[in-house]
Amino acid sequence: MDAHIKKVYVPMTETGFYILLCLQKEMHGYGIVQKVSEMTNGEILLSPGTMYGSLSKMEKDGLIRFVAEEEKRKIYHITDLGREVLQLEMKRIERLYRNMREELQ
Amino acid sequence: MKEIKKTFKWFTVAKYEEEQEYLRQEHQAGWKLVKVSLLGIYTFEKCEPEDVIYQLDYNQEREKGMAEYIQMFRDCGWEYICDFVGYSYFRKAASKMKEDETIFSDDSSRLEMIGRVFKGRMVPLLIIFAAIICPQLIANSMHSSGVGRGLFIAYCCLFFLYVLIFIQWAVMYWKLKNKK
Repeated sequence: MDAHIKKVYVPMTETGFYILLCLQKEMHGYGIVQKVSEMTNGEILLSPGTMYGSLSKMEKDGLIRFVAEEEKRKIYHITDLGREVLQLEMKRIERLYRNMREELQ
Repeated sequence: MKEIKKTFKWFTVAKYEEEQEYLRQEHQAGWKLVKVSLLGIYTFEKCEPEDVIYQLDYNQEREKGMAEYIQMFRDCGWEYICDFVGYSYFRKAASKMKEDETIFSDDSSRLEMIGRVFKGRMVPLLIIFAAIICPQLIANSMHSSGVGRGLFIAYCCLFFLYVLIFIQWAVMYWKLKNKK
């Protein structure tokens, strides 16, 4: 993983994290919006400008790739590089969570 | 035949929030936007007064697939209206929103949009300013009468106009960066 990717995506925004998390399965942008809303009991509503911007940026950086188009909706899937970034982020968030719990005890 | 009105309004590149607010007020007064054309001519159509939020996006990536771009917004409840100098115009009725909704749900994606506007709109202005306006202003400053004097005054006006646009941009960017 090159330095640019690491600098831009580690740590990443909540939106970016949810996109990569969801795209472990093939999905289109609006599908991600719905899934995230479900997962967070409607507390996180991703907006279309944010989604479109993030998806095109991640595609350009090779974290996700375009798979197919269905009824004018682009379907994406995570790449190996995307998985690597997601792993790094998951480790970082786990550490954050662990430390938070320990400090609270 | 629907009643149409046209207005002329000039918003500089940094004033997109004011533009959004202006379009919202027009809709509240019963005029919905149909299109924006050359130099800032806004065409409205008579409609029922309603509180409708207008939003501008700037994303050149959309040219790779306009239909997909519009579909993403439509799925999220935003109606696409038109394009004007790189900006895309969207609207959504306030009554259909859970709370204050915009087309950007986080600050980093909003800043990224500003970055795209900077590259697409401000960089060309800066180049024109540095490569044409400034050298011409200096070259024409020697004349005390005639055509040269006229040119000097014209370039002076352009110089101050551009400086104003740059200041507005800087203020807008600073506000966005420091917003709580």
